Amino acid sequence: MTDGATATTPTTPTTPATPATPATPATPRRRRLSGWTGVLLVCLTVLALLFLTPTVGVILSALKSTRDIAFGTLWAIPRTLDLSNFAVALAHPSVKFYFVNTFLVTAPATAGSITLGILAGYVFSKLPFRGSEILFLVIVSGMFFPPQIILIPLFRLFNRLGLLDTLWPMIIVHIAMGIPICTLLMRNFFATVPAALREAAIVEGASEWRVLTGVALPVSLPALAVLGTLQFTWIWNDFLWPLIFTQSDNKRTIMLGIVSLRGQYTVAWGVQGALSLLASLPTLLVFLFFQRYFIAGMTMGAVKG
Amino acid sequence: MKQKERFWRIALLFLPLAVFGVFVVWPLLDTFYYSFTNWNGFSRDYRFVGLDNFAGVVTDRLFTNATVNTLIWTALAIVLPTAGGLTLALMLDTQVPGAKAFKSVFYLPICLAAVVVGQIWIWIYQPDWGLLNAAITAVTGSPPAFAWLAEPESALYSVIVAWSWQQMGLAMVIFLAGLTSIPTYLLEAAEIEGASRGQRIRHVVLALLRPATVVAVALSVINSLKAFDILFIMTGGGPFHSSDTLAMYMYSESFKKYRIGYGSSISVILFLMTLSVITVYFRQLKKLDELYD
Repeated sequence: MTDGATATTPTTPTTPATPATPATPATPRRRRLSGWTGVLLVCLTVLALLFLTPTVGVILSALKSTRDIAFGTLWAIPRTLDLSNFAVALAHPSVKFYFVNTFLVTAPATAGSITLGILAGYVFSKLPFRGSEILFLVIVSGMFFPPQIILIPLFRLFNRLGLLDTLWPMIIVHIAMGIPICTLLMRNFFATVPAALREAAIVEGASEWRVLTGVALPVSLPALAVLGTLQFTWIWNDFLWPLIFTQSDNKRTIMLGIVSLRGQYTVAWGVQGALSLLASLPTLLVFLFFQRYFIAGMTMGAVKG
Repeated sequence: MKQKERFWRIALLFLPLAVFGVFVVWPLLDTFYYSFTNWNGFSRDYRFVGLDNFAGVVTDRLFTNATVNTLIWTALAIVLPTAGGLTLALMLDTQVPGAKAFKSVFYLPICLAAVVVGQIWIWIYQPDWGLLNAAITAVTGSPPAFAWLAEPESALYSVIVAWSWQQMGLAMVIFLAGLTSIPTYLLEAAEIEGASRGQRIRHVVLALLRPATVVAVALSVINSLKAFDILFIMTGGGPFHSSDTLAMYMYSESFKKYRIGYGSSISVILFLMTLSVITVYFRQLKKLDELYD
């Protein structure tokens, strides 16, 4: 082993399988398909099918009538493709509000939390000061606490401000609760921008703002993608804050909407399934397109301190 | 120069710190304050009761019940998703074909909302036409009868299974990240020295995965202290408080019984529990950094 390259490069399967050259940076861990691989493949396939079953269940429910489900055929493959549950779900008068509200909360809260994370992350990475390490740790630890512990004071605060039963508390709280992860990731990303680059720009008369927007941000696009997918998913999927801060039906977000529609006996199971699928669609699409960033964000947020 | 830097520090930090301070730190201090009062949420006059709330917690059987449930939840949330995630990661960190697709399948549930996950699993546990009872009938031949979420002895565990299904992917990627940082030459050296596959996994891989394990375990604990949505949706803490966790119990004391002071003292306890886990976690992360630097 000549250098530490193998430790950082993930896998390079294109390396020719020459057994006796330990000097190549990435020697495949095993060189042939053995019986082990076959066993592994079978195990993984079984596990993957088990893992997919719950999700498939929801898809099937969306394609069936209440009668079908009540008679125990939820888990059978439907013979005809019946999309009426989706039509019913979308035609429900409240559902439109739910989706619009969720979007009106998710978009500004995602953008807001990332913006504040950029500002703070830049200072912690490029303009450290006495005690900034501790301040940074305090902010980042906010990521780990159960949000319920600040629920009562927040409720009281927004009540006093007269903002209960509007979308504002959700937007504001999601921005505030997103600051820890956004600051953490942006700081780690800005840390890879060489200090010399910033100094050179400053000496030439550029302001910190110019350095931030012209030098640091352009190289941090992957971090923005990571945070965008993560924040979007979390905020879209949130249930707790709308539960606390909203009362009237036309202020609810989609996740709370699903639960409250479930309480009404008029809404059929299949319609609930269809609505769950529709509600998951945005995050599923984000996941499929930005999988790499999503996973990177989850691991970085978890592993890097 | 120095003055300019100071200006920018303040200018850039002002907004994030103001928002974080007003909407996270201050409410947290407020929670501490309420925990020493008997406030009910609306009345103007409330008084300080000192440590009465915390003394009350000690003798509150429902609090003890919620604590025990949180511990059970945490223990199983460590064992099931973490062990499962480790197993999956070890299986996928081979040259097995389709590893990428498998990874996505195991990871997918993480991006689903708790509401949707709860919905899915309510249907799996449904007594009359749920998949679980149908599967049991298919195997044993006896008609399905068990209402998994409505029986005190099974409600909590049924939710934990759903939770593990969702969380396993997270542990898996943490372990996969840990595995890619293990240099291949160490494994090759062990192989040349005549170590069997089992020995290699135990003495090389698992030994070097210890930091990743600490991270995965700490995250499981932190996430289980947060667990709320999925319980709220699947059981609401019931039947008969059998699936109440601390987060759930705090919610119902504060927002259903309007015992804000008491609920706040439960929050404070939850805060202190999380704080102790985070301290361990940050310390281990530091070690992890030193290890890889």
